Amino acid sequence: MSSTESMAGTEGVTISRTGQQGAFGGELLTVNFGPHHPSTHGVLRLIVDLDGEQIKRLKPVIGYLHTGIEKQMEALRWQQGVVVTDRHDYLSPPINNLAYALAVERLMGVEAPPRAQALRVIMSELTRLSSHLVWLGTSGLELGAMSMLMYCFRERETILDMNEEISGFRMHTSYIRPGGVMADATPRFLDMLASFVKEMPGHVDEYEDLLTMNPIWRARTIGIGRLSPEDAKVLGASGPMIRGSGIAWDLRKTMPYSGYESYDFEVATSDACDCYGRYLVRIKEMREAVKILDQALQRLPDGPVNVDDRKMLPPPREELETSMEAVIHHFKLFTEGYSVPAGDVYVAVESGRGENGCYIVSDGTHKPRRVKFRSASFVNLQALERMALNHMIADMIAIIGTADTVLGDVDR
Amino acid sequence: MIADNLITERGVSAGDEWITVPADNVHEALAALKGEGYRLLVFLTCVDHLVDQSRPSWPGRYELVYQLRDVEKLRELRVRAFVDGDPPEIESATDLFPPADWDERETYDLFGVRFKGHPELTRILMPDDWVGHPLRRDYPVGGEVVEFSEEHQRWQTPPDRA
Repeated sequence: MSSTESMAGTEGVTISRTGQQGAFGGELLTVNFGPHHPSTHGVLRLIVDLDGEQIKRLKPVIGYLHTGIEKQMEALRWQQGVVVTDRHDYLSPPINNLAYALAVERLMGVEAPPRAQALRVIMSELTRLSSHLVWLGTSGLELGAMSMLMYCFRERETILDMNEEISGFRMHTSYIRPGGVMADATPRFLDMLASFVKEMPGHVDEYEDLLTMNPIWRARTIGIGRLSPEDAKVLGASGPMIRGSGIAWDLRKTMPYSGYESYDFEVATSDACDCYGRYLVRIKEMREAVKILDQALQRLPDGPVNVDDRKMLPPPREELETSMEAVIHHFKLFTEGYSVPAGDVYVAVESGRGENGCYIVSDGTHKPRRVKFRSASFVNLQALERMALNHMIADMIAIIGTADTVLGDVDR
Repeated sequence: MIADNLITERGVSAGDEWITVPADNVHEALAALKGEGYRLLVFLTCVDHLVDQSRPSWPGRYELVYQLRDVEKLRELRVRAFVDGDPPEIESATDLFPPADWDERETYDLFGVRFKGHPELTRILMPDDWVGHPLRRDYPVGGEVVEFSEEHQRWQTPPDRA
């Protein structure tokens, strides 16, 4: 028995079963990467065939974080579902809420009032910032820039404080709901936001000082994980993945929602098509997000933050004491909930990772028939093999990092 | 637009355009639409219409939904196809749209729809040894015992030691 056969049954590392010869005179080696590995941003398992240290084949194995969110949605009433949408892409809860809320509103034929739309934009952009900050911090950490995590989480903390101020919850805010938002912004929130908008550009400069011209960072990202514009289109990539390949596709510009068409901002793109390009895109997006926040704050309209429809949203507390009708509405909403007209609708919004879509089917009852989340990470992860082919296994860390997949979003 | 004999029904739902095509011709219709400019498959999924009373009758229990997008002209089209049978079968679209690969695996995994011509139709989200297809409407929520729960403990304890 040769030594290759005796190793073949060992868990973790096996000589490839195909017995294929590599260019360096040995057989291909099959390595099990993950599922528990600090650089996989969750539990992602990759089966990698290596020739020496070069990746020759790569197969992602997913499903370790599958929580049956789509099944749970079918068992919950329309307004209860919001809480579950928070939890699939756990780095951008308000954007997930927004996709779901817009979908339900489209089916019901209602539109949120202007103040609610502006608050939705504010929360979306804050979320995009916090999601990019987590990405920048962890990717920096993986590629040797240890201090990035401290800097990025410092600013993320401010954003989480703001989440807490406006919704009472730091991460899973459930702030954006069908019909409007949970509550109006408090004066303290607006003060915090104003000072954040003033400080944040300086912080982004700080990150750039640390990374953009950093020789180690550049050596590890430039020319690594190339995804050509053609491949990006064919593989359906979205978000910074496709913009990092030089295609200016941003749903906020191309298919605007929530009044994004009235804000002045640029779509960040980079022609580098590699990990460094995707890094530049995200940095630019952070600056643009601050610009949008500033505009939204300047012209935040006055008025209600919820649609005036007692059949959809509960009456204000004080009305319950004087109006019998309010009590009836309250009771109906909290026992049976509202019904959505039969039909189906697909709404896509731009999250920090790309196209975050929500497809809902209603059969006219008070619970959805089917809710499907089209998550950007799920589709972007399919491009991983194309990007990682013929790179060193150590470069895969940079490639997974800049793909910025959230495994909760992949597995739902 | 594609040949009229391929479209059995068309309509608009909440602003979204859709057409229904016969399940046997779904590949042909998708190929024609791809030629029309709908180059991107946004997502592919399935809806189970078991005991769905929003319409008097459904052409089939499983509805396959293909959301297509034309990124140049910025238009979208939803293609539906109804299938029945056990297991329900339909032709794969992976050769037309590469992102359909994982979507079809997911639909197979959660609904049990078989895609003919898919290169590797295996489970993707559920464990490989899972029995059943959880997103079917007759698969109950909570049908699986939660690990480390009291009920699970009872299941694992022999009767004489309970």
